[in-house]
Amino acid sequence: MSHPEENTLGVIVGRPRRRESDATRRVIRAATPRRASLGTGFIGVGAAVVVGLRAIYGFVWFIGLWDTYPNPLPTLAAWAILIGVLVATFVFARVIGDQLPDWAFALFLTGLAGAIALDLYAIWPLHDIGRHATAAVTAGMALVVVVTLRRTADIVIAVCAVGVALLTAIIITTPLSEANLSSQITTLAFAVLPPIIAIVVVNGFRRLVQVELDRVLVQSTVSAPRFAVGMMASEELARLDLAAEELLDSVATGRARLPLDPKTASTAASLATELRLHLIEGRRETWLYHAITESDLLGKSVTLTDKGSLAGLLGPQQRDGLLSTAWLLLSDAVKGTATRTVQLAVGPAVASLESSDGRKIRIPIVITTTGVPRNRVDPATWEAIRKVGQYSDSTQNSSLRVDIQCLVDNPADQ
Amino acid sequence: MELIAKERDRLLQRTARIYGLSFTVVSLICLTIPDAVDSLAYFICLPLYLVLGFSQFRLGSSRSLVWVLLVVGCGLAAIIVAVTVGTGPSQAGISAIAQLSAASIASTAIVLTTQPTRRVILAASLVATCTVTTVLLAPHQPAVRTIALLVLGWTMATIIGFWISASVPQAARRIASIGRAHRAERQASETEAQRRQGARLLHDTVLATLTLLAHSGVGVAPDALRQQSADDARLLRQLRLGATPTPQSSGTYNLEGVEETVLGTTLESVKQRFGRMGLEVSWHGTGQVLLPSDVLDAFLLALAECLENVRRHSGVTEAHVTITDDETTVRAMITDAGVGFTLDDVDSARLGFTESVVGRLKEVGGRARLFSSPGSGTTVVLEVPR
Repeated sequence: MSHPEENTLGVIVGRPRRRESDATRRVIRAATPRRASLGTGFIGVGAAVVVGLRAIYGFVWFIGLWDTYPNPLPTLAAWAILIGVLVATFVFARVIGDQLPDWAFALFLTGLAGAIALDLYAIWPLHDIGRHATAAVTAGMALVVVVTLRRTADIVIAVCAVGVALLTAIIITTPLSEANLSSQITTLAFAVLPPIIAIVVVNGFRRLVQVELDRVLVQSTVSAPRFAVGMMASEELARLDLAAEELLDSVATGRARLPLDPKTASTAASLATELRLHLIEGRRETWLYHAITESDLLGKSVTLTDKGSLAGLLGPQQRDGLLSTAWLLLSDAVKGTATRTVQLAVGPAVASLESSDGRKIRIPIVITTTGVPRNRVDPATWEAIRKVGQYSDSTQNSSLRVDIQCLVDNPADQ
Repeated sequence: MELIAKERDRLLQRTARIYGLSFTVVSLICLTIPDAVDSLAYFICLPLYLVLGFSQFRLGSSRSLVWVLLVVGCGLAAIIVAVTVGTGPSQAGISAIAQLSAASIASTAIVLTTQPTRRVILAASLVATCTVTTVLLAPHQPAVRTIALLVLGWTMATIIGFWISASVPQAARRIASIGRAHRAERQASETEAQRRQGARLLHDTVLATLTLLAHSGVGVAPDALRQQSADDARLLRQLRLGATPTPQSSGTYNLEGVEETVLGTTLESVKQRFGRMGLEVSWHGTGQVLLPSDVLDAFLLALAECLENVRRHSGVTEAHVTITDDETTVRAMITDAGVGFTLDDVDSARLGFTESVVGRLKEVGGRARLFSSPGSGTTVVLEVPR
């Protein structure tokens, strides 16, 4: 066997999780050819509205200051460029599908730089950037429009550049005093803070989408049969079949000479072993196992002990409840989920005493956690647990422990 | 939807936190400029800013309205103190107040957009902030300017709140449709895996050939092995192209989708296949037994595995297979006159016996028994239900 560490059942050793995520990514790509538009497109429109409001306010401010300018025309030109660039970028990005190619982004930045330069040039002789900068400040905020369209690093660099430019201009032109210091600070803050806040919001939104996507994709295991193959199992089998076909074909056509060289022989041996494993062992895992391995969030922090594969007996409602419980316990963490873990132990089953006809069996499910204080548990969690069965909760090692008695139909009666 | 609403609230809270805290810090910096406000007012304002900042921080992780009210209350208190205590604000003080009222306090609007009661609080906060700030700043700057700035700040925060709230269900709908596509894909994957795993006979012959190749094909006539490989490659190609292979000449197996298959025809091809590999198989007994196809599959696999063991380990080139059947059972007895072995000495797992023979028969309700001793050959009895 050439790669003994490589188990192709889509499980256990090595790199199973990564592969499931590949499947997930592929599904997403298939379902949304325009990845950027998974909700962020709408956010982008909102950002444009906010920037538009800010631009109107800034422009009114500029009109109000018109008389104080030695020559207001460069600033007027700056405003024209700024508005033109904003409108063009917004429309262009919508038309080509919520994205902004590098050259368009470069053009956008050039426009902003031009607007800032013209505005600063016009107010240079006034020696008070903070009080008079209008188009330059709005240009900083204009970066908000492209926050959903570009990578975070791009925006951060651009924001820093705008901030440095304004700061330099202020230091060079403005004799700082107690009277005008506050307006300089305000100007700088209004130019730089909005894009940074927007980055935080959009990243939060993307995270939300990611988590929800993860959850929804895993949710599809709720309707899976008692034993199921993972998303990749059939592809793995197809891959093995193809490899076998090629090997056999090369033998049949004489490309591989008989008797085979040791390397080809060992390929044949490992193919045979993998195929056998797939055909014989491939269906031993339950939906819960697949749900946990396929999920980025659950995969990291949930360990499952289910020797008898009893989770497979749970009905859709109970599965939904169990999955939501794990989800709520983990996603609720204030800062990341690194310190929170959940251990699920299912079984062993006992014949139920509660039901009179004996058609049900009782499966004890024990949820132990680390880093989940009892009083920090979301109320929705208890509702989710109730869907699984009767429960009692306690605290173990200062973290939550839940014992659930889950009643399921006896598979022998079905 | 329940869960995503929670996620939405969390996002709104985080947004409000970063928005509010940033401008609180900027406002505090402006307030710290010498002579921004009376120094007594400054020292009264400091703890108010501290509580304000803490409340905004807590706002980021808690849904409780207490923090919202604390933000509005502390903010307004700081404004009142800054203007009324001592000499009143200078230009820097007015900037600090403007940032406090139009951005820092306004950040609460982001979390106040989701429910009717919250919207009422939002309106009340806006009116209170507007009134207090405009009235207090009236001697220092034109009321129009104060109101314009406040309206801008609060409108922006409100829009941000509404917009995020509105985009989350949109994204959720898209995600749900992706989820449906994924469910379909999972089912398709399951079906495909079943189709491939269901082609068991095909895989059995492929596995047998691969096993021969794994031993470099030693001990088998090259022509026979090439022929076998060509047959199996063709079957795999058919499977890959989506057809259910229905070979008659594959040597061993019949994959037609019939419920019951006559044993005899397929036995003949097993015999031919082993003939090519140098093991003479003689058949005895019933040739015309009808079996459900899954039972037949298991039966034939087990039979072929036993013959393969004879070929590899017995040291003889002849084996006898006797098929008998009664009302309930079909039975095959595979005997050879080879070297035999002590059952205790040989790990049956090493022969692949447990896995491929016993396991497979068990799946269809059958069983296998093994008799052997050194020097007196081996007999295997396979039984499957009819």
